[in-house]
Amino acid sequence: MKITIASGKGGVGKSMLASALAMLFAQKQKVVAVDADVDAPNLHLWLGEKEKWDKVEKISVSERAVIDQKKCTSCGRCVDICTFDALSINNSKLIINNYFCEGCGACEVVCPEKAIKMKPIKNAEIRIKKNVYGFPLISAQLYPGETGSGKIVDEIKRKAEEFKSEMMILDSPAGTGCPVIAALNGTDFAVLVTEPTPSGFSDLKRVLTIVEHFKIPYGVVINKYDINLEETKKIEKWALRQARGKLLGKIGYDQRIFQAIAQLKPILETDLPLKKEIQIIYDRLRRRLSL
Amino acid sequence: MKKIGVTGGKGGTGKSTVSILLANKLRAKEKKVVLVDCDVECPNDYLLLGQTLEKPKGKVFAQFPKLDKEKCQKCGVCTKNCRSNAVFQPLGQYPIFIHELCSGCGLCWHLCPHQAIKVEKKIIGEIFENKVEDNFWLVTGRSIGVVDETGPIVTKTKDYALKLAKKIKAYYLLSDTSVGMHCGVIRALLGSDLAYAVTEPTPLGAHDLELILRLLKILKIPAKIILNQADLGKKEIVKRLAGETKTKIAHEIPYSNELVKKYSLGKLAEVNIL
Repeated sequence: MKITIASGKGGVGKSMLASALAMLFAQKQKVVAVDADVDAPNLHLWLGEKEKWDKVEKISVSERAVIDQKKCTSCGRCVDICTFDALSINNSKLIINNYFCEGCGACEVVCPEKAIKMKPIKNAEIRIKKNVYGFPLISAQLYPGETGSGKIVDEIKRKAEEFKSEMMILDSPAGTGCPVIAALNGTDFAVLVTEPTPSGFSDLKRVLTIVEHFKIPYGVVINKYDINLEETKKIEKWALRQARGKLLGKIGYDQRIFQAIAQLKPILETDLPLKKEIQIIYDRLRRRLSL
Repeated sequence: MKKIGVTGGKGGTGKSTVSILLANKLRAKEKKVVLVDCDVECPNDYLLLGQTLEKPKGKVFAQFPKLDKEKCQKCGVCTKNCRSNAVFQPLGQYPIFIHELCSGCGLCWHLCPHQAIKVEKKIIGEIFENKVEDNFWLVTGRSIGVVDETGPIVTKTKDYALKLAKKIKAYYLLSDTSVGMHCGVIRALLGSDLAYAVTEPTPLGAHDLELILRLLKILKIPAKIILNQADLGKKEIVKRLAGETKTKIAHEIPYSNELVKKYSLGKLAEVNIL
């Protein structure tokens, strides 16, 4: 079974909840945790891990056009076909903007001089760590300046499958784009985390379009619910109206969480009240999943 | 015109809040400011500014192939050349185009020897413009539905904002980026004269700050740090990183109940910045 924790908005508590749920599930099942936030992976920190990985592996998920200036006659056919505005001719010299190149290879095919070659790029590294709670964490880091987050997420999901666990917990990145779609694709259940602010609520509904596109059953968690009780009520009412979306629970705002994470102390190892609230969410989640 | 990016790597550190505080501060000096919300997947600046997104001023399209079965000879050229594995062709049958995998690069319709592939345009994003207050414009990009590649929406939104800024003779163009450091963030930052990296005093904030500072270095954009909720957590982690990377902490915003409360209502408290 695969559960993805998503939210649309960043900083609402996805990784915090994902780490705690993975630890709770691991008490009864064989778990693998996947940090799908390959841009800015933080799940290991919530699990109390400093960056000492058991295994680090560089990967290449895409290619990029490389120009052989000796062969190029600046005919401009590649510039015409490139729909990503990655190529241009400046002072009769062909220039490529690497940040815009999607690696589609159209330029290579149309070049009459064979002056463009697609070359694989090392975009990221995959990191694996078996933690003190007895389950492996699969994480990845997109190298700064590189692109291809979605394909990297596909890759770490494949890696995670190799562990043949009963439960995969995926921590999605923020947003609704390719890595989020890659994380949610093929998941059995989505835990959608939000906060009672207009931004949090708006982004929750935006990520829901992806969840509904894949017809994934979901539940909602309201984090920091007590910073605006009125907005919390609004979200609760809305969640009730959704046919498949039921509220899984609420977590109160607690400044002490800053101290806990500053010491890399997993939430479940603290005495904070939110520990209980997360336990309730976990119990409800198990019931929803008939476990 | 000065182009300033506001980014941070980690989510929820206060990019939007800082962008708006900055815009307000700058416009108060009688200089026109255009703020462009480049978080096209989850734009929130308009909510914090009490604006609504009504009539779009611009639309962003993506292209997809569509088969003309009368012309198709099932020759397989499109299937063979697609690098995204977006063309599936069962033996002896018509090719099928898989939208979810298609990058819209156009190679298939360009190469088709029978002109059997037509181009279908699909709207993937919208661009909005709001005049917020005196000397303050907001441009917002927003993706529509399930969009894999949101980068082009960011570029088109920024292009629109740049044109507007030139037209009204704006003094500042502020780009509020999304979280992370993927193509959408890079596109939002490209061309900036300066970028503020907004972070929080936790190992999470510092971890992602280090990454975004590395990205800014690669993009050759000078960076400064803004430390939000500065008195919570452990400030030293960020200070150490600032020292190691020789990046200035331009401003520290202390934690404020009022700010959190107002933010939760979709408003901003008055905070003096920079």
